[in-house]
Amino acid sequence: MSVYRMQQLKAHILPGNKTTAMAGPASPLTTHVLNIAMGVPGSNMAINLYRQDPSTNTWSLITTGTTNADGRCPGLITKETFTSGVYRLRFETAQYWESMGETCFYPYVEIAFTINDPGQKYHVPLLLSRFSYSTYRGS
Amino acid sequence: MAAAESSPLTTHVLNTGDGVPAARMALSLHRLDSQLMIWNMLSVGTTNKDGRCAGLVSGGALSPGMYKLRFETGSYWESLGQTSFYPYVEVVFTISAQEQSFHLPLLMTRFSYSTYRGS
Repeated sequence: MSVYRMQQLKAHILPGNKTTAMAGPASPLTTHVLNIAMGVPGSNMAINLYRQDPSTNTWSLITTGTTNADGRCPGLITKETFTSGVYRLRFETAQYWESMGETCFYPYVEIAFTINDPGQKYHVPLLLSRFSYSTYRGS
Repeated sequence: MAAAESSPLTTHVLNTGDGVPAARMALSLHRLDSQLMIWNMLSVGTTNKDGRCAGLVSGGALSPGMYKLRFETGSYWESLGQTSFYPYVEVVFTISAQEQSFHLPLLMTRFSYSTYRGS
């Protein structure tokens, strides 16, 4: 069975979109994980969103989620709680590849970014293979 | 130069927004102590005018484990009088017993970056 087929079956069998992310109006912060090695969305990948406290420089966990079949994770944060500051998105990349029987050079990927204007929308995608990744500020 | 080429870990930082090597960027290499679950800094360096940084690893091959290369990208862009979406970039990677040399470049602009395992 191809790895792609295995991924499709996994998406059907596992509970759909098991995320504690919130419902309601669209999150001002979105992500999109793409498995560019296989040309498919990076689905069922665990991700966490953290915010840094500027006075203590410690990180707090804001949201835990799992990407859906399209590699997205709606409801990462609400407009009300989206304040200026430094945030970090953590993607469990090795766990993702391991679930397909493969290794990954990166045990996880963390992308730290600065939100200066929480009134804007921010899209932080992750394009991933077993030995490379990229990200950009999208829309 | 020969020492840099034979180093088990090399990097190359490129400012692809301006089409130039990212010179004078501070970076550091860390290794995870898997028992204490803390990061130990192994070395610090600054990229040269070609965006490379010699001497990140002294001695022979890196022992197996989890490593982190941290690039002070925010400070770099600030020194050019610009802002950036990313305050820093950290690339965490795993070295297993069989592997010997690693090239970890960072291609970046103010609003994007990419990395890969090269040679």
